[in-house]
Amino acid sequence: MTTHTTNAPVTMLDTPPARKRPDWLRAPRAALALPAWAWLTAFFVAPVGMVLWFSFGYKPGIFGTHANDKLSLDRYAEALSPTFFTTFQNTLWVGVVGTIICLIISIPFAYWLALKAPISRRGILLAMVMVPFWTNFLIRTIGWQIILAPEGWFSDLLQVTGLTSAPLDILFTRTAVLIGVVYNYLPLMVLPLFVAFDRVGNDLREASKDLGAGRWATFTSVTLPLAKPGLIVGVLLVYIPLMGDYITATVLGGAKGNMAGQMVANQFQTAQNWALGSAMAVVLILTILTTAAIAFFIAWLATLPVRHRRRLVLGDDR
Amino acid sequence: MSPQQPVRILASTAASRIIAQEYSRRRFLSFAAAAAGAGVLAACSSPSGEPAPGATGGALENNLSIYTWGDYDDPEVLTDFTAELGPDITLDSFNSNEEMISKLVAARGTSGYDIVVPTGPFIPQMIENGLLTKFNLDLLPNMKHVDPAFLGRDWDPNNDYSVIKAWGTTGFVYDKTKITRELKDWNDFLDAAQNEASGNFSVLDDPAPLLGLYFWSNGIDWNTTDPAHFDAAEDFLVNTLAPHISAFDSYPGGVAIPQAQQALMQSWNGDARIGILESEDPDRWQWVLGSPDTELWADNWAIAAGAPNPEAAHAFINYILDPEVSLRELDYNGYHTGVADIEDAARDAGIEMLDLIFFDDAQVETMHTQTITDMQQRIVEIWDKTKAAAGA
Amino acid sequence: MKQRLSVFDTSLKIWSGLVFAFLFAPIIVILVYSFNTGRLLVSFSDFGFESFAAIVTKPAIRDAVWVSIQAGVISAIIATLLGTLAGVALARRAGKWAPWFLILLVLVTVTPEIVDAVALLPWMVFLGQDVGLSLFDNGIVRLVVGHSLFSTAVVAYIVRSRLIGLDESLEEAAADLYAPPFKRFRQITLPLVMPAVLAGGLLSFTLSLDNTIVAAFVQVSGSTPWPVYVLSAVRTGLRPEIAAVSTIMLVLTLGALALVAVVLRRAGDSATDIAKTVGGG
Repeated sequence: MTTHTTNAPVTMLDTPPARKRPDWLRAPRAALALPAWAWLTAFFVAPVGMVLWFSFGYKPGIFGTHANDKLSLDRYAEALSPTFFTTFQNTLWVGVVGTIICLIISIPFAYWLALKAPISRRGILLAMVMVPFWTNFLIRTIGWQIILAPEGWFSDLLQVTGLTSAPLDILFTRTAVLIGVVYNYLPLMVLPLFVAFDRVGNDLREASKDLGAGRWATFTSVTLPLAKPGLIVGVLLVYIPLMGDYITATVLGGAKGNMAGQMVANQFQTAQNWALGSAMAVVLILTILTTAAIAFFIAWLATLPVRHRRRLVLGDDR
Repeated sequence: MSPQQPVRILASTAASRIIAQEYSRRRFLSFAAAAAGAGVLAACSSPSGEPAPGATGGALENNLSIYTWGDYDDPEVLTDFTAELGPDITLDSFNSNEEMISKLVAARGTSGYDIVVPTGPFIPQMIENGLLTKFNLDLLPNMKHVDPAFLGRDWDPNNDYSVIKAWGTTGFVYDKTKITRELKDWNDFLDAAQNEASGNFSVLDDPAPLLGLYFWSNGIDWNTTDPAHFDAAEDFLVNTLAPHISAFDSYPGGVAIPQAQQALMQSWNGDARIGILESEDPDRWQWVLGSPDTELWADNWAIAAGAPNPEAAHAFINYILDPEVSLRELDYNGYHTGVADIEDAARDAGIEMLDLIFFDDAQVETMHTQTITDMQQRIVEIWDKTKAAAGA
Repeated sequence: MKQRLSVFDTSLKIWSGLVFAFLFAPIIVILVYSFNTGRLLVSFSDFGFESFAAIVTKPAIRDAVWVSIQAGVISAIIATLLGTLAGVALARRAGKWAPWFLILLVLVTVTPEIVDAVALLPWMVFLGQDVGLSLFDNGIVRLVVGHSLFSTAVVAYIVRSRLIGLDESLEEAAADLYAPPFKRFRQITLPLVMPAVLAGGLLSFTLSLDNTIVAAFVQVSGSTPWPVYVLSAVRTGLRPEIAAVSTIMLVLTLGALALVAVVLRRAGDSATDIAKTVGGG
C-alpha cells in the first residue's frame, strides 16, 4: 500500500455518492454486544436463576434432589445455622487474610518491578511472574504438599539448619491453606499493581521529591493514590475467586480447609440436597458482595478526611 | 472509490503501521473464523449419548467407562482386557456411594458411565429409581465361578442387576512410632484420636462409617432408627470429635500412609494393606480390625441406566469374574473378590499380608452390613455438620 | 540522574528475589519430581525418564490432555469473539443499555466458580434431556460452555479498556471517507484492539486449561479434561506421570506465550504495553 501526497483536490465528482442503506440495516454498535448478552443470559443468568429458585424449595425424601411446591426461607435458616455459619466465617477469614497477605507481598514487589527494575528486563520479569500461572493449579498445590511434607526433604533441611526444632507441622493446618491460596492468587494481584505503578511513572515522583517530599510522603500522597484503581482491581481479582475456591484449601488443609465452596459442593455431590446447596450458594455470593462493598466503604471513609484536607489533583484521572 | 486511484490516508504513525498490516490481520481473522467454525462442527458431530436398549451379545464397542472406587482395579488387568477384547477403558472414581448416586441422579442418564460399582445396600433404591439396567445373564457365564455364599444377597436376590466385585471391612491403621500403646478397638481409636493423635488423625470421607465410629464403640446397632441415638451421635461427632479431625480421607493408602501424613487413620482393609506395603517402613504401621463391631461392605459390578456401551460392559464383567483375573485383582487391591476358592489360590501364589484380606469366622461374625433406613438423610446431615465443625 | 543504591532499593531487590523464589519453588519441585520413577509422585525413589512416556502410552492421560486442549481452544475462540464484540460496543457505543450489561459482566465475574458449576449441571441436563437438545449431552460442548462464561467477561473488559484509551478520531475519519460500518470495524477498530484481543484469547485459553470446578461437575465420562483427571488422581495416589505431563504442558504453553509475545512485539507493543493490556489497562 503506497502513501503519497498529491495536490489534486478531492471533489464531490470524484467520489461516488454514499450508498444510503436502509435504516434497519445500519445496526447500532450496541448490537455488537448482543451475542455476548445472549450467550451469558442463556448459560449464566438462566442457570443461576434456577439455583436461586431451588433455594426456596426443599428436599423431598432420600432420592429426591429438589422440590419447589412449597416455598420457604427454611433452607436459608439452615444454611445460616451455627454449624454451617462457622464455615462461612472461616471462608471469610481465609479470604480477607489471604487477600491482605497478597497485598502486603505484592506492593513492594510490583513497586520494584514497575519503578526500580531495569527496563530492558521488565518483559522477562513479568513473564516469569506469570509462568507459575501456566501450570495446572492443582499440580502447583501438590508441589506445596511435597514441600510441606513433615518427613520430606524441606522439613529435614529446616531441622538440619536449625531453623525449626521439630518436623514441619504446617500441613493440614490453617497456615497451609493460607500459603496455598496466597501462592495461587499472587500473580493476579501483582499484574494490576504493576500496571498501576507503571502508570504513576517516575516523573511525578521525581517532581514530588524535587519539591522536598520524603520517600514515604511521596509514596503515600503521590504513588499510592494514583495507583488506587490498580489496587482495587487487584484486590477484587484475588478476593472474589479466593472466597469461592475450596480445592486448594482441601488438599493442603484437610479438614481445616473446609470452605464454603466445599459445603456447597457437598450438598450437590453427596447429600443430594440441591435446595440447601442452592441456599448456601446464594449466601456465599451475598457474603462476597457485602464484604467487598463494606471494605470499599470503609476505605472511602478513611480517605475522606485526608482528601478533604489535601486536595491534590494529579494528572489524568482515567 | 475507483480501484485505479491510490488510497490517500492521513494517519498517525502508529495507526499507519497498523493499517499497513491490515491485510495480514484480515487473513488471521478469516483463519480464526474458519477454525472456530470447524471446531464447532467437530463438537457438534460427536457421537450422541443415545443408549443402546440392552446388550444382545453383538460386537463390542470401542470404549468402556467405569465409575468406581479409587485405585480399585489393577491397571494391567485393564490393559490386558483392552488388548484381548478391544474396548478402551476410562476410569472415574468417587469417595462414597452417596456421591455416585448423586452424580447418576443429576445426570439422568447422560453421565456417560457404563459400569458403576455400588455397595450392596444402596442397590435396591437404585433399581427403584431407575439408575441401573438389568444384566443379560447369557453374556455372563463366568458367574459360575463366584462362591454361592456371595450370590443372591438380599439386595439383589437373583443377581439381575449386580454381581459381587469385592467385599471388605473397616478398621484403622496407626503409626507405632507416634502412638506407643497398643490400640485394640474403636474405643481405643476414639481415645487416641482425642489425645496422642489429636490434629493428626483422619476418618473416612463416607457418611455411614463416620457414624459407625460412635455406634460401634457404644454397642449400638449401626442400623438403628432411634432419633435419640442420632442426637447423641451428632453431639459426640460434632462437638467432641470434630475439632481433633485433621482430614477426611477415604484412601489413606494412596498418600497418607506412605508419606506418614497422619498418625491414626480409619481405613478399609485393602486400602490399608496397599499403603503399608508401599510405605518405606512397613513395620511402623499396625492395622487393627474394628471391634467389637464393624462394617461388612460388599461392592458390586452393575451397569448404569443409559450406558452407551452395554456390550463392552458385559464383556468386561465376564472377563473380571474369571478366577485368574480375580486373583490378580485381589493381589492389587487387597480385597476378597468373592470368587470360589480364592483364598487357597492366594495362599498358593504367596500373596503378602493375607491377614488383611481373609478373616476367620469369628471376625466375620462381628461385621454387619448396612441397611438403608429412613435415617439416611440424617446420617448425611451429621456428616456435613461434622465436616463443618472440623474446619472451624 | 543516577540513583544511589540505597538500603531501601537493595531491600526491595531482596524482597523481590524472595518472592520469585516463593513463586517458583513448587514449580521446580514438580519439575524435579517428574523424573521420579517410583509408583507415587510424592515419594521420590529413582531418577529416570519413564514417566514422560506416559503421555504417549497411557490413553487416559493422552485423552485428558487432548480434551483439555480442544475445550480450551474452542472456548477461547468463542470467548474472544463474544468478548471482543461486547467490548467494542461498550467502548464505542455505550448507551442506556451499557450499565445493565456491565452489571451482567460484574455478576459473572463475582459469582464463585462453584455456583456456576452447580447451576450448569442441572441446566445442561435439562437442556439435553427435557428440551431435547442432545448437543448438550456432549462432553466437549458442556466444557466449552462452562469455560467460556468467565472468559467472555474478562475479554470484554480487556478490549473495552484498550479501546477506551484510544482516540475515536481514526474511526471517525474512516466514516468521513464513506467507509460502511462493517468495513470500519474490520479495517480500523479491530486492528487497533488486536493486542487486547490476543491477550484476551490467551488468557481465556489459560483459564480454560486450568478450570477444575466447573469441569468436575459438568463433564461427561469419556471427555474428561486434564484438571479433573488430576483431581481424581489426587484422591487415590498421584503417579509421577502427572508431573511429567504437567512439565510438558508448561513447556508448550511457554512456547505459545513466546509466539504471542513475538506477534505483539511486531505490532509495536512493548512488554509494558502487553502487561497493561492483560492487566486491564
